[in-house]
Amino acid sequence: MKNGFLFFLGLFFSLAIAWAGIVLGSHVQLSHLAPYFDENEGKAFPERLPGIAVRGQLVYQDLGCAACHTQQVRRPDFGSDKARGWGDRQSVARDYISQPAVQLGESRFGPDLANFGARPHAVDAARLTQYLYEQHNGMPSYRFLFETRRIAGERAANALNAPAPAGSEVVPTPRVVALVAYLQSLNNVYEYPEARPVVPPAAEKKEGEHPAAPAAAKKEGVHK
Amino acid sequence: MITAPTAVTTAEVTEIDASARPPLLLLIGSALAWLVLSGALALVNLVQLHTPSFLADCSVLTFGRTQAMQDSAFIYGWAANAGLAVALWILARLGGSPLRSLNWAMAGAAFWNIALTVGLIGIATGDGTSHAWLHLPRYVLPAMLFAYAAIAVPGVLAWTGRDREMTYASQWYAVAALFLFPWLFSIAQTMLVFVPERGVLQALVAGWYVQGAWTLWLAPLALTAAYYLVPKVGGRVIPNYDFAALSFWTLLFVGAWTGGRHLIGGPIPAWVATIGGVSCALLLFHYIVVAVNLRDAFVTGGSIVLKFVRLGVAAYVFGGFLDAVTAIRGVALVTQFTFFSAAQSQLAISGGFSLTIFGAIYFLVPRITGQPWPSAGLIRVHYFCALLGTAGLVAGLAVAGWIQGHELNDPAVTFAVIGARTKPWLLLATAAQAVLLLGNVLLLAHLMRAVASKLLAPVVVVIFRQPPPMGAPAS
Repeated sequence: MKNGFLFFLGLFFSLAIAWAGIVLGSHVQLSHLAPYFDENEGKAFPERLPGIAVRGQLVYQDLGCAACHTQQVRRPDFGSDKARGWGDRQSVARDYISQPAVQLGESRFGPDLANFGARPHAVDAARLTQYLYEQHNGMPSYRFLFETRRIAGERAANALNAPAPAGSEVVPTPRVVALVAYLQSLNNVYEYPEARPVVPPAAEKKEGEHPAAPAAAKKEGVHK
Repeated sequence: MITAPTAVTTAEVTEIDASARPPLLLLIGSALAWLVLSGALALVNLVQLHTPSFLADCSVLTFGRTQAMQDSAFIYGWAANAGLAVALWILARLGGSPLRSLNWAMAGAAFWNIALTVGLIGIATGDGTSHAWLHLPRYVLPAMLFAYAAIAVPGVLAWTGRDREMTYASQWYAVAALFLFPWLFSIAQTMLVFVPERGVLQALVAGWYVQGAWTLWLAPLALTAAYYLVPKVGGRVIPNYDFAALSFWTLLFVGAWTGGRHLIGGPIPAWVATIGGVSCALLLFHYIVVAVNLRDAFVTGGSIVLKFVRLGVAAYVFGGFLDAVTAIRGVALVTQFTFFSAAQSQLAISGGFSLTIFGAIYFLVPRITGQPWPSAGLIRVHYFCALLGTAGLVAGLAVAGWIQGHELNDPAVTFAVIGARTKPWLLLATAAQAVLLLGNVLLLAHLMRAVASKLLAPVVVVIFRQPPPMGAPAS
């Protein structure tokens, strides 16, 4: 390796080729993904996150929830994701296109949350808030997201059922409210053409682009 | 029996070593301080795994943030500082002349560490991102890029101004690490933080960055040290050296492609994960050549430097094989999303990287301070702490991960049960982390003692300077 210029070129291309292959290659493949408009439903999927859920995603990100929770469902024959009720279909790239900060995660010390808001036995906001306050099923408590304050007049409607000094109540801060709204908004059950493992032979051709456009693709029985 | 490198002959210490003392000691000192901080955070993190209520009320130390801070302190604090110090010094030694423009390295090191401190405070207060190895908040990233470039200046000058045409494997790896990291880092910053990609492309870029940072930056830094120390300390020529160049280019060209293996079954194009697996298999060539080239490290006995490097090389090669095995779909089905991945990561960075760099630090510090390490006993204790700690940590996490993976695949097993069954192994990992931390605290204390004794001792003038080699052009 006597030729410094060639050596430098080699270094340059080693990085450039890997970047072009993996990053640029998948960019070319995925960057055209657009929301899928379903005429029957009269709206496009994935739906945009409401503002409060976007703020909730930032809370999810800054607390590092992704250290224990993934948000990606693997296909039914690869792992127990479906059997655990995390989702009936594999997550696909289109599920994430409207999310500002994608939280795929790499560790499942806690359950997957990709379809948390669509679970058969979805917990309501009040219960979820309570879980975040208490230690629940191995998940630590997040008391610093709550405040204990004096009851002024009536007890607040969203006050928690938690021990507090006399005359005080524990209420969630706006951060918990946003986080809960985000978790409840996690719902990727709409079946895109590419999310179907097998294309039914009788599927009608529509628009040329999606060979198996789902006329009534919204999966029934998701909210069992 | 361990023989500590307590005696460094004056003849061996040259102007090259003495001139580089302030920046290298700054880099190594701050590296060890970050290592201790990272170890303490890792301990908190592991305790939280089996005792979720531990420090749960403290928002700064909530699990996710502790993990992000621990990773950042390790990678950008310990690994970057120490790896750069070793790379600069080896480039100077092999280049044959003292490091130039050291003010750049001093200023760069200062700014790098200030930026990292601000970054960790940022993570603790909620400004962190959620990308692995890139948790640092956006406002410190450009500063870190420039600081890195500044630290690298003397290394680049040592490479371009080297006094002989011929180059060594150590130099290739060092120069690759110096040049490639800023590129990687700037691409990752741009595509993840400043102009973020859309949707899962973020995860793809992040996966590519993590793998690139390992195979194009940290692994080359460790190999820089290993390829220098094994022949130098062992006193023998590297066997089958012809293959070293091929192995180097294999690592560079194939390494960054392996990132997709973490996303097997994920919502990404399937070819990314497949190429990741294939690349892992191709990369085995590199690991085999490294094992063959550095086999002299495994000769029994030898100095403490070689003992550390031996463990590091063994962990590095074993880690490479483990990566290839877990990239197979059937195995990934069990290990994906579990502590097993954490074990692999620890095997690479705490084993392959840290242990090799410890060896380099034990070799380097007496030469730049011109004084032996004050205590052979402390070195021995650190060696056993590092050995037991790393082995226990990796084994504990791997077994916990294996159990966790099998039980995750059984939908009847609840998370509470998984938590209970993995607990003994997580306790083992916690204990091992405590031992590791103890060893690293000892090393930091030892370094401080060495530097203090240097500062307090009467000035030792280096009276002997090695003559230029015969036949070398006069410079």
